[in-house]
Amino acid sequence: MLTEFGKIFAFLLIAIIFVIVTVFVAKLVRPARPTTEKLLTYECGENPVGSPWIKFNIRFYVVALIFLIFDVEIVLLVPWIMVYKEAQILGFVVGAIFLFLLALGMAYEWRKGDLEWVRPNPVPPTIKKPEIPQEISTNPSTPPLNQV
Amino acid sequence: MNIEYFFNSLAFIKPEIVISLGVVVILSLDLFLKNGKKLLPYTSILFLLVTLYYLVEQMMVMEPAFKPIDYFPMVAVDSLGTFFKILVVVASVFLVLFTMITKEFDEKFDRFGEYYTLIFGMILGMFFMISATDLILIYLSIEMVSLSSYVLAGFLKPSKRSSEASLKYLIYGAVSSGTMLFGISLLFGLVGSTNLFEINKFFSMMGAPSVIVFFSVLLIFAGIGYKISSVPFHFWTPDVYEGAPTPITAYLSVASKAAGFALLIRFLKLGFIGDIVSDGIWSTLPVFNWQDFLVIISILTMTLGNFAALWQDNVKRMLAYSSIAHAGYLLAALAVQTEAGVLAVMIYFAIYLLMNLGAFLVVIIINNQVNSEHIDDYDGLGYSMPYLGVMLGLFLVSLTGLPPTAGFIGKLYVFLALLDKNMLVLALIVLLNSVISLYYYIRVLKHMFLNKKKEAVEQVPNKIFESSVVFILGAPVLIFGIFFTPLVDFAKTSIHFLFSAF
Repeated sequence: MLTEFGKIFAFLLIAIIFVIVTVFVAKLVRPARPTTEKLLTYECGENPVGSPWIKFNIRFYVVALIFLIFDVEIVLLVPWIMVYKEAQILGFVVGAIFLFLLALGMAYEWRKGDLEWVRPNPVPPTIKKPEIPQEISTNPSTPPLNQV
Repeated sequence: MNIEYFFNSLAFIKPEIVISLGVVVILSLDLFLKNGKKLLPYTSILFLLVTLYYLVEQMMVMEPAFKPIDYFPMVAVDSLGTFFKILVVVASVFLVLFTMITKEFDEKFDRFGEYYTLIFGMILGMFFMISATDLILIYLSIEMVSLSSYVLAGFLKPSKRSSEASLKYLIYGAVSSGTMLFGISLLFGLVGSTNLFEINKFFSMMGAPSVIVFFSVLLIFAGIGYKISSVPFHFWTPDVYEGAPTPITAYLSVASKAAGFALLIRFLKLGFIGDIVSDGIWSTLPVFNWQDFLVIISILTMTLGNFAALWQDNVKRMLAYSSIAHAGYLLAALAVQTEAGVLAVMIYFAIYLLMNLGAFLVVIIINNQVNSEHIDDYDGLGYSMPYLGVMLGLFLVSLTGLPPTAGFIGKLYVFLALLDKNMLVLALIVLLNSVISLYYYIRVLKHMFLNKKKEAVEQVPNKIFESSVVFILGAPVLIFGIFFTPLVDFAKTSIHFLFSAF
C-alpha cells in the first residue's frame, strides 16, 4: 500500500516520465528546419531585445481575456472537485454545464475568427452619416471623415 | 456538509434558468445556423415570454432560496422581486422590438448574436440584483449587469460617440463598483458577514450610530446610486445615453434603473429596518439615518436633473437628464420609508417604464427618418408625422405628470406617500420640479407643432409595425391615467417582502 506521500511521489514520477516521453517522441516525429526567427527566445511574437515601449497588436488583449476566462475556470473547478464525491451525479451535471458554457463561448470565439491573428474578412467600418460634432471637440481643420 | 439545499433551490429560480438557457440557445443559433441571425429577435422574444410565464407562476411565492441549513439565504424569492422582474422582462421585450425598428445598426452589422446574448446576460444579472440578499451576490450581479451594458453602449463601433459613451461608462462604472466593494469590505469587517439578514441582526444589537456604518453605507450607495443615476454618481448618464444606440439607452433608463431601485429597497429594508412594522411604517434602526440621507439625495437629484435638462438641444440628452430627475422623484418616495412609499415607487416605475420607453421609441423612429436627434430637426415634424407627434406629446405630458395621463397617477401616489408622513417640504420641492420639467418637455412639442419648416410639408407614411408598437406603449399611458385600479391592485398584492428568513 502506498502512503499519502507515496501517492504524490507516484504522481510526480508519472509526470516526469510523461514529459520525457513526449519530448522524445516529438523529437522523433517533427521536421527540423530552424530559421533565425525560430531560434530566437520566445517572447510571444515580439522582438525579445529592445525597448519595451512599443506599439503591440490589440489582439493580445483578446487572447489575454480568453486566457483569463480559462484561468478563472480552473479556480472555479477546484471547489467543485472538493465536493464532487458528495454531490454524486448532480454535481457532475453542474460541472458539465459549466464546462459546456465555456466550451460554447470558446467555439463562438473560434467561429467568429477572434482567435485568428488577422481577422478573416474584416468588415471595414463604414460611416453612413456625417457625425454631428456636439460633445466631442473635433479639430475643425480636419475634414469630416466622409469627405476624405 | 450538505449541498442538497442547492439543488432544491433550483426550483425557485426557474425564470433565471430560462434566461440562462436563452443565452445558450441564442449563441448556438448564431454559431451553427447560417441564417440564424434572422431568427434571433423572435427566439429572444420567445424566451422572454417563457420567462414571463414562470414569473407570473412565481408571483405569490415567498421563499428563501439557496439557504444553507441553519443559515440565511443568498436569494430571496418574493413578490416584490417578482414585480420588478416582470418590469425588466417587459422592458426587454420592448428592447428587442426597438432593435428591430431602429436603423442605427449597419446592414453589414454581423454581431447580433453577441448583442442578444449580452442583453440576456444583463437580464440575468438584473434578476439576481433584484433578489440577492447577500452583499457578495449583489456585487457580482451589479458587475454582471455593468459589464454587459458597457459593451452594449459601445455597440455602434464606427460611431465615435458610441465608443466615447462606452469608455466613459466603463471608467465611471469601474470607480463606483470599486467604491462599493470597499464599502462592503468595511461592513464585513464590522459585522463579520456579508449576509443582509446577519447585518440586520448585528445592527439591531448595536443601537447607536457609528462612523464605520456611515462610511460603509455611503460607499455602498455609490454603487447603487450609480445604477439608478442619482446625483453625485450621475455623471455618466448624459454622455452614455446620448452615445449609446437608442434602444440600449431606453433600456438602460428603465430596466437597469428598476433593478437598481429594487436592490436599494431590499438593501434598505433587509439591512436597516427593525422587525416591528406598524401601519406600514418602517421602524428604522438607529445606526444610519436613511431618511435624511435619501431626502437630501433626492432633492439634489431631481433639481439637478431638471435644471440641466433645460439647456439641452439633443433630445436623447434631454431625456437622459429627465431620467435623472425621475430617479429623484422615486428616491423621494423611498425616503418616506413606509409601505406606501414603496408602493409609490412600484406604481411610478410601472408607469415610467411605459412612458419613457414610448418617448425613446418615437425618438428612434424620428431618427430613422431625419437622421438626427437635434431639437431643431424636429421642426414641423408634427405636421409631417402627425401620429408620432401626437404620441410623443402624450408621452412627454405623461413624463411631466399632468392628468389625464398615467404619469399623473404615479406622481399622485408619490405625493400621497409624502403627505402621509407629513413631509410637506419635500412634496413641495417635487411639485416645483414638475413645473420646471414642464418647460423642457413642452419645448419639444413646440418645435414639432409651432415651428414650421419653410419647405412644403410632406406626409411621411407610418409603418404598421412601428406604429403598433408605439400604440402598445401609448394606450396604457392613457388608460392607466383614467382607470388605474388594476395597476394599483397589482402593486398592492406584490408589495410583500421576504423579511424574516426563517
